[in-house]
Amino acid sequence: MLRGSCLCGGVRYEISGSLKGALNCHCSMCRKAHGAAFRSRAGVKAEDFRWLQGEDLVTWYETSSGTHRGFCRVCGAKLLSRFDFDPNWYGLPLGALDEDPGVKPKRHVFAADKAPWYEITDDLPQHPELPQ
Amino acid sequence: MIRGSCLCGGVRFEIDGVLKGASHCHCSMCRKAHGAAFGTYAAAKAADFRVVSGEARITRYRSSAGIVRTFCARCGSTLQWLRESKPDVVDVALGVLDDDPGVRPSHHIFVASKAPWHEITDNLPQHASRP
Repeated sequence: MLRGSCLCGGVRYEISGSLKGALNCHCSMCRKAHGAAFRSRAGVKAEDFRWLQGEDLVTWYETSSGTHRGFCRVCGAKLLSRFDFDPNWYGLPLGALDEDPGVKPKRHVFAADKAPWYEITDDLPQHPELPQ
Repeated sequence: MIRGSCLCGGVRFEIDGVLKGASHCHCSMCRKAHGAAFGTYAAAKAADFRVVSGEARITRYRSSAGIVRTFCARCGSTLQWLRESKPDVVDVALGVLDDDPGVRPSHHIFVASKAPWHEITDNLPQHASRP
């Protein structure tokens, strides 16, 4: 069981099962949403994800057609993305996890859109966009 | 002039002058707030930082004594890190900048708290906490 929570502790969740396809996304929307150099995320099956408390504190913002990014309305912590076009999977920002997920990002996507002030210095594959 | 905005575009700001002291912060609070591997901030003079639109959407959260983090109430974009004891300084989250700030992060702080799933692979100095 993997647990996560927001900065203020108002929202807590747990995940059974494993995370899939961890990656770092450098697209401009992820950089804006997180206010960070890039977003590190993994896929989680919707059936494996459970809010433990504070689901009513999660504000959803639709960033592109059918993608909803959730954050805590009290502290602003970025918590989860859900997709109208694929309700069986969620996108999980790794930053709110309380425990080691046991997976690490394996590639960079949208590297062509990366921040000018950040250099990618690791050896992971870099894709200019999101490979199919 | 350096411009910045949140994801939904509701909050827009401008910074005159230069940003200084950019660093990557790996503390657990930055990781939680950003939902990311680390936060990256640089300091502007408060007098140089001007909110152009969306001031009412800027939500403040006091994450520890004397420290306030701000974000957009509509889209959640992390915007600022503020010290109540230093009201003349605004630490800006570089991720919401629309322009190249010119400045580059020069060190990592709070690496003792870094995420287990993230490796630091650059050659910048690393500090266990805040130097």
